[in-house]
Amino acid sequence: MLDVFLTPMSAAPSATRHKLFSPARIWALASNTLLELVRLKVFYFLLLFALLIIGSSAFVVKFSFQEQFQVLKDVALGAMSIFTWLLAVLSTALLLPKDIEERTLYTILAKPVPRCEYLLGKLLGVLTLLFLATSLMSFLFVGVLYYREQGAIASLGDMPPDEFAAAVAAVKASTFSPSLIQGIVFIYLKAALCASLTLLLSTFASTTIFTIMVSVVVYFIGHVQALARDYWLRDATVGPLTKIFLAFVSLVFPDLQLFNVVDDIAAGAALPMAIFLKTSALGVIYIAVYFLAGYFLFQNKEL
Amino acid sequence: MPNEKMKPRIGNAVVIRHPSFVVLLLLAFGAAKLLPEAALTREQLAAGLRKGQLDLEMRQQVGQLAFVAALSGFRAIVADGFWIHAQTAWERVDWARMKLDFDIVTSLQPRCVLFWEMSAWHMSHNASVAALENRAQPRAALRVRAAREFIATGEKYLLDGIANNPGNARLYDMLGMLYRDKMEDHCKASWAYFQAAALPTAPMYVHRFAAYELAQCPGHEREAYEILRALYLKSEDEHLPTLLKWLDRLQQKLSIPPAERVYNPDPEKSAR
Amino acid sequence: MPTPAISIQNLTKVFPIPFRREKVVAVKDLSLNVEAGHVYGLLGPNGSGKSTTMKIVLGLVSPTAGKTEIFGRDSAEVESREDVGFLPESPYFYKFLTGEETLLFYGKLCGLRGAKLKERAKELLHLVGLESAAARRIGGYSKGMLQRIGLAQALVQEPRLLVLDEPTAGVDPAGSREIRDLILAFKQRGITVLLCSHLLSQVQEICDRIGILHEGRLVREGALADLISIDTQTEIVLENATPQFLDQLRAAAARGGAKIVEERKPQRTLERYFLEVTGGGE
Repeated sequence: MLDVFLTPMSAAPSATRHKLFSPARIWALASNTLLELVRLKVFYFLLLFALLIIGSSAFVVKFSFQEQFQVLKDVALGAMSIFTWLLAVLSTALLLPKDIEERTLYTILAKPVPRCEYLLGKLLGVLTLLFLATSLMSFLFVGVLYYREQGAIASLGDMPPDEFAAAVAAVKASTFSPSLIQGIVFIYLKAALCASLTLLLSTFASTTIFTIMVSVVVYFIGHVQALARDYWLRDATVGPLTKIFLAFVSLVFPDLQLFNVVDDIAAGAALPMAIFLKTSALGVIYIAVYFLAGYFLFQNKEL
Repeated sequence: MPNEKMKPRIGNAVVIRHPSFVVLLLLAFGAAKLLPEAALTREQLAAGLRKGQLDLEMRQQVGQLAFVAALSGFRAIVADGFWIHAQTAWERVDWARMKLDFDIVTSLQPRCVLFWEMSAWHMSHNASVAALENRAQPRAALRVRAAREFIATGEKYLLDGIANNPGNARLYDMLGMLYRDKMEDHCKASWAYFQAAALPTAPMYVHRFAAYELAQCPGHEREAYEILRALYLKSEDEHLPTLLKWLDRLQQKLSIPPAERVYNPDPEKSAR
Repeated sequence: MPTPAISIQNLTKVFPIPFRREKVVAVKDLSLNVEAGHVYGLLGPNGSGKSTTMKIVLGLVSPTAGKTEIFGRDSAEVESREDVGFLPESPYFYKFLTGEETLLFYGKLCGLRGAKLKERAKELLHLVGLESAAARRIGGYSKGMLQRIGLAQALVQEPRLLVLDEPTAGVDPAGSREIRDLILAFKQRGITVLLCSHLLSQVQEICDRIGILHEGRLVREGALADLISIDTQTEIVLENATPQFLDQLRAAAARGGAKIVEERKPQRTLERYFLEVTGGGE
């Protein structure tokens, strides 16, 4: 029965040689996490997204095409923002507690898998899911926008060539701009930051619901962190207790308003490349720091 | 006695065990990011981004839920919601409500040129005409005054829009049209069109319109003539009826010697 | 002297209770060795510290004092787990994976790849009798099937040490017998097994040595045969003995100063009887 075991008792151990850091191991964990989330049928929300962006036009039928495009872009980018955020928080929040409760964590960590790689694999799995979701939504959004753009051009009617060219240019100016891609990158980075933060919270939170609630609170406070920082650093009239509170908010919470330039991008503002790169770099640093903090806590966690 | 080897590791480095280390890490990171974040915020504001007004006044205007949504990164959607609300107010001919909504929308999305443009158009064109024709107001003077107030509101929207979007030719173009058609102030119209013409995204016609309005601004006829002459000589594409009409008019008004005239509307008459 | 498979030295684990001053001492100064190639039963009532000891050996929990080693390598080192396969109590695996995908996943965690890993997964599925369920999701597995797939994942990297926590819990008698036979076969192959089980009859059948924990302390430890035998008594089972012969034996015992403590008909185990009746005995 045990002919499969070719290794006799006295031979050198194990079929494998442990590597201190193994990208392949991390990817095995990441792809497993991605598969888990995909098989939870999370992508059905894309149907809702499609309905939203297509259905939003029902409210603006009587509007000019520029207004219609504006609303379409705003709704699509806003929906992308909320969906990616929800996906980030909800899918990350349940990863660790589920593994602990169902004891799959024990079987994984009983293998030669460092805790760091386990956590990194989980995070990368979620980030990959977010990337796929963002890409699919972007594809849908661009498709609908292009279709509406072509419809608007087709309805321009007969006019002299130079006027037609100017009209087509006006239509196209209302739809696509390179900054839209930058805006979508920011939507992704914001969601990725929230995922990393949620993972950090889940390393010490006792329940999933606690993790989700704290993530939601941090999300909202993160949007006023800039205000708190401003008051703390510049306003001399603030009392000492208030100053301490403002300092706490400024130091502990992320500044999520930095990523909210999407609204201006949708309105047609151009995003300078330097600002795009700096904001993106800050987002990546946030993700890394939150992950590091989560790793330190997870490393100490009694299982 | 604590087991040294059991302490958590990164590679072979021993990491401090106590959770307070994580708190210190986050606080240290918070301190390190403070100034870069503030600097990046200033950079974004300087680039004309994140100008949406999100203060207590806005909170009063939009309500708590909308304010929280706007604060949470959904400023554009909240603005669109109020824009749609403004359109339904327009269908009810509720100009006051429209103005309130336009104020909210333009405050939330100051970088959206479309909102400034449409708000100005509704006020200066639709609302002003409705005021003029308002038979519920028997006194003509009051109707005219109301109309002028709406036109002034439209002007303000365009000026505020320009302040928030300085590089936008369209708003100057609209301003020129407002001055020309609604205020009949050709000097101001000319100024607005010239501002538009100086911007790279300006449509071609604004150069001509600037000259036409300048021609109607007392004391600037010569200047207008020189501009129209230069346009005429520049390209045959500029030989449009209105330009030709104004060129001819100015040539006559300024008594330009025939030999110096670039445009002759009736060559046979000249020949005779 | 060969390196023991597991070496536990002066192990103590104290769990603090949040917001309270008292603490829970789960394991108190425990020392024991599990020699390579043995089947060792770690027994004890609920709360005796068995699970905690196991988790510390597997590096899942850090000790308060003392140390544990696997084949000479500190349990805290991730590398020590190259040689270990672990089957937890009432195991769950990712429900969304099929049986085969589960083994492939754990194999990848151990550094196995490609065709070699696929081959290994196939062999293990055959070994534990789950070939027909390989493509079915774990969520649809019965308790017995979960135990089997758990055993298979524990074996995926050909470990020298198996740690099994209640491997036959909730499994029917036929399945339980198969798992027991597997453990004995592991032993024959030189694989060390650390077994935690409440089914003492099973432990009695397969373990070489046992350790009994109680309130965190090791109260008894040694070779099973030595521990449970009653030195002052001898058991003789006779077949086809006539009543007269039995009388003579009784008389001889009385003359020899021995006391007949019990006289009864030996019984089959209920398990054996059950298997004979249901056809699972062969």
